Amino acid sequence: MAAFEPVLTKNVGKPEALTLQGYRQLGGYEGLTKALTMEPDAIIDEVKKSGLRGRGGAGFPAGMKWSFIPKGKDKPKYLVCNADESEPGTFKDRLLMENDPHQLIEGCAICCFAVSANTCYIYIRGEYVKSALVLEQAIKEAYENGILGDSVMGSGFKLNMYIHRGAGAYICGEETGMLESLEGKRGQPRVKPPFPAVVGAFGAPTVINNVETLCNVPHILTRGADWFKSIGTDERNTGPKLYAISGHVERPGTYEHPIGITFREMLDAAGGMWRGKQLKAFIPGGASAPILKPDQIDIKMDFDTVAKAGSMLGSAAVIVMDETTCMVRSVARLAKFFNHESCGQCTPCREGTNWMELVLKRLEHGEGTERDAQMLLSICKNIGGQSLCALGDAAIGPVKSLVDRFPEEIEQHVRERKCPFPQPRYFENGA
Amino acid sequence: MSVHEPASMKPSGPPLRGGGLSEASRAEIDGLRPRYPTTEAVLLPALHIAQRQWGGWLPDEAIHAVADELDLPVAKVYGVVTFYDLYHQQPVGRHRIRVCNNLSCQLRGAEEILQVLHQELGVGEDEVTPDGRCSFVHFECLGSCDTAPMMMVDDEYHENLTPGQVRQIVEGLK
Amino acid sequence: MPKVTINDRTVEVEAGTNVIEAGLKAGVLVPHYCYHPRLSVVGQCRMCLVEITENGRKMPKLQTACSSYVMKDGWSVRTDTPEVAEAQKGMMEFFLINHPLDCPICDQAGECGLQDYSFKHGVAYSRFQYEDKRTYPGRERIPLGANVVLNMNRCIQCTRCIRFTQEVAGTGELGFFNRGARVEIGTFPGKELSNPLATCVVDICPVGALTSTRFRFAERVWYLDKKPSICTGCEVGCNVTMEQRRGDIKRYKPRFNPEVNDYWMCDFGRATFERYKKVPRLASPRVKAEGGNGHAPVLNTGWSQALDAVHRALVSAQGDVAFLGSGFLTTEEAYLFAKLADLSSATRRSVPVDLGPEWTIPRHQRPPITGREAAPNRRGAELAGLTSALEGDNGTDDLLHGDSPVPAVLVVCDSDFGQAAWDAATVARLRRAKFLVVFGWADSPLALAADVALPVAHHGEKDGTFVNVEWRVQRFERAFAPIGQVRPAVEVLGDLLSRFEGGWSQVSAGSVFDRLAGELPAFAGLSWHRLPATGAALHVPGAQISDRAAETASEASA
Repeated sequence: MAAFEPVLTKNVGKPEALTLQGYRQLGGYEGLTKALTMEPDAIIDEVKKSGLRGRGGAGFPAGMKWSFIPKGKDKPKYLVCNADESEPGTFKDRLLMENDPHQLIEGCAICCFAVSANTCYIYIRGEYVKSALVLEQAIKEAYENGILGDSVMGSGFKLNMYIHRGAGAYICGEETGMLESLEGKRGQPRVKPPFPAVVGAFGAPTVINNVETLCNVPHILTRGADWFKSIGTDERNTGPKLYAISGHVERPGTYEHPIGITFREMLDAAGGMWRGKQLKAFIPGGASAPILKPDQIDIKMDFDTVAKAGSMLGSAAVIVMDETTCMVRSVARLAKFFNHESCGQCTPCREGTNWMELVLKRLEHGEGTERDAQMLLSICKNIGGQSLCALGDAAIGPVKSLVDRFPEEIEQHVRERKCPFPQPRYFENGA
Repeated sequence: MSVHEPASMKPSGPPLRGGGLSEASRAEIDGLRPRYPTTEAVLLPALHIAQRQWGGWLPDEAIHAVADELDLPVAKVYGVVTFYDLYHQQPVGRHRIRVCNNLSCQLRGAEEILQVLHQELGVGEDEVTPDGRCSFVHFECLGSCDTAPMMMVDDEYHENLTPGQVRQIVEGLK
Repeated sequence: MPKVTINDRTVEVEAGTNVIEAGLKAGVLVPHYCYHPRLSVVGQCRMCLVEITENGRKMPKLQTACSSYVMKDGWSVRTDTPEVAEAQKGMMEFFLINHPLDCPICDQAGECGLQDYSFKHGVAYSRFQYEDKRTYPGRERIPLGANVVLNMNRCIQCTRCIRFTQEVAGTGELGFFNRGARVEIGTFPGKELSNPLATCVVDICPVGALTSTRFRFAERVWYLDKKPSICTGCEVGCNVTMEQRRGDIKRYKPRFNPEVNDYWMCDFGRATFERYKKVPRLASPRVKAEGGNGHAPVLNTGWSQALDAVHRALVSAQGDVAFLGSGFLTTEEAYLFAKLADLSSATRRSVPVDLGPEWTIPRHQRPPITGREAAPNRRGAELAGLTSALEGDNGTDDLLHGDSPVPAVLVVCDSDFGQAAWDAATVARLRRAKFLVVFGWADSPLALAADVALPVAHHGEKDGTFVNVEWRVQRFERAFAPIGQVRPAVEVLGDLLSRFEGGWSQVSAGSVFDRLAGELPAFAGLSWHRLPATGAALHVPGAQISDRAAETASEASA
């Protein structure tokens, strides 16, 4: 593969990108300028052709999503940018928002023009105060310079863009939970269908895209769908991709690679395993992705290959665990997260995530029984595919893979009546 | 077109008790109304504003005031308040400390950081130090896994923590 | 209309019907908790998962029947596959792991959705053996208002009650609080569930989380005998089920009638049966000694002696007779009283109109229905031949309050016709009649003052019809036998009329209704046995429902 030039993160570390003028000097707003000369449908076609898939987790083709929005300008339509980045292990959108806010604004503006939406809400998680401030400032500047407002860059297209801050709820990253939250309600996901493209925010057709997805859009317009497609594994997995790597690696961080880089290459780019330890397990796509073992180290990190391996690329948040890690303890921690974040409206998720956490905690404390592994699988089965939204399926990912791929660790906990792994000490002498 | 700053970054005025929403809060809420096609949608930002006015938490009185302001059933507003982790129904300290101990942070020593904090402050989860200085708030992943372990003090992230740094930061909180 | 096949039974349904409703049409019950036909569809309980095959292609996941709408031909639904059974079993386990095992002291036991479905779809053992059940200390018996008690431990979070207050009552007192496994329902601290329809949340609660203050610990439901009845709380005529044990009425529950009260009724109406317990009962016929003036010795007699006395008095009065009717009479009773008035050439036959508190019941896809008059059947009484102030007859006022001479014989058709029956001045005035006859179930001051007091059945003890505010005639049934020597008024009046002319022996509410239907144009074409369960709209020319009621209301406020 030819040397890869960063696309989405090219302005990271350049403070001038925070200002409108600086961003323009770095080539910004060319995509929007071009888009405004095009027919909206042509923009959608270009995005479709690029093969851009949603970077939030589900990997749904973005252009296709846009094309579901009913045509016409008579009724209000909305774009809601999903900046509720809350999946444990994921921190890539924060990087984009804090370092290159105009890239996101530009992507949002192009999308709005393509689907004739005159209002865009950026739903940002409440904890991301800095991101919100940076974006607010950038939006303000964009308004002052005619990039937003009554006539976007003089085109006559009207666009208002607002930051809407969340208040601490993972489930608001689920698209209909987000819409409920935007409308001032509890962030409880809606029954689908109808899908947001038909009945979305305030009952109107709505596109919901992740931050990273939208940040790709200006580049697709300036450099073309063919360029975009030239990056990646195949025509179903295209473009640059941000990988957030954390846990037991030497240099955790957000790395931009062509989609489909292998996990081994990624790990090398992040400086290898932390303190030279052996790899025991890795989560390829955020807390909800089933855990993979070292035998998958050469897996191509794209949507389809990871799915084939029995996990998912999700938000491409990679959590690396070394040989000292207790898998039961790790999964128990994730189970606690999903129990805490379940919205509580639907039965299998409300009761099941709670039950799984209790069982895993009991196992970790050495009070497990031989039946627990099978029972966990059965609870997973009763949640899987039967909850109202995807959180139920997300919650069983790590648990199922624990039982399937690390049965010996569970057995050891049960047999020895305690956690066989010593509590790790990361700081010597408490310093 | 007015542009609105995130509520939590503005300096918080003196807590106004017994008098409902302050003029300033109401003006801020009014400024948000044109952004949304429904009044209900103003609720989340309005609660952020009210929480700032009431010194970091939302007593029943504040919830009532917001419900009245937006003409919503108070039970509905209460349901929203209790749904989100960032709205507090108990008094909080002058500084809110949130430590992420989700998996990525756990793998880098978050639990040791938590221990240090418990020692330094002498309080547990959702408790306020006797002098009202700090309160400890349970929190899930804060999206800073690459700089684990980390904690959030009020609105600011402190990253790549060591126990020594944590002690220093806590001592620096007034 | 699209066709849908459910467990091999094909039915045609209106496009947009969901699979639960389609199933009911096909005779297949899809188990569900959160779905209610009058509340928004939320798909939360996940109990109604079914397998749907569209034109031979099976949908990849099980679908919630409540949110799956039949739009066109080609759907085949199964609720009986192993996969569905497994899902239902799993869901029942989730419902039950944190549900208390307190059925023996739970009012819902016997009519509980959890009991029913766990018997049908659940398993008999628990795998939740090592952990403690989730409890809500201090929230086991929270009065949400005067009429509803919440036990949070029993709640299955279906949110029907919340949606009811938001979507039907429109008051929104209830909310969903907290998140995940810690979610709760309740009111905002210090607020009450106080809307007039509040107890409906008890009816729609599928478990014992919400119970009725009035009914708590009153009776195990399997001992209750139930009969379709009509509420007598106002002129709306909400359809109810009268639930009683050995003549002791325990509760009213609303009975579905889309034309009248939909699935609902008000809390005021639910309490009306208590009057039958609180007010002293007239239990046997009573005749005062001849020549009495209200102070003569009272004799308890047999029916025939009492009726003879009434007959003699009516004949000897030679037309100086007045009848004071009541909006609480059934149409059939009013008809017979009118006949009696005819035969005794009575000068007046007036129905008093009492305005009560105003009650409004919301209805689906039609305007709400409002009752202002305190009696359920003023309209029926009028149609049957009595007259009221609303018909331009000021006889009631004359009789009750005026200075005009009181007739020689006064027949009061209902000892509890309204507030005036309990007013000493009114009783004293009516007592001025030379001969006072009082029919009724209540031993009111008026009955005590009567020369002849005749104990007749209250509406739980008799059959009959009422005509409601929208001129809909509705039938109700006897729930239990009258006490003592009490007889239904229809039978008593039949006996009395037989003393004047032939053809009145052995009458029943049914036979009287059929007779009046043949005679009165408003009831033309109706018959007792063919009267639909939802009642029948009467042909009343120029019946301007709302105007009439408005008039009454403005008179009252003037």
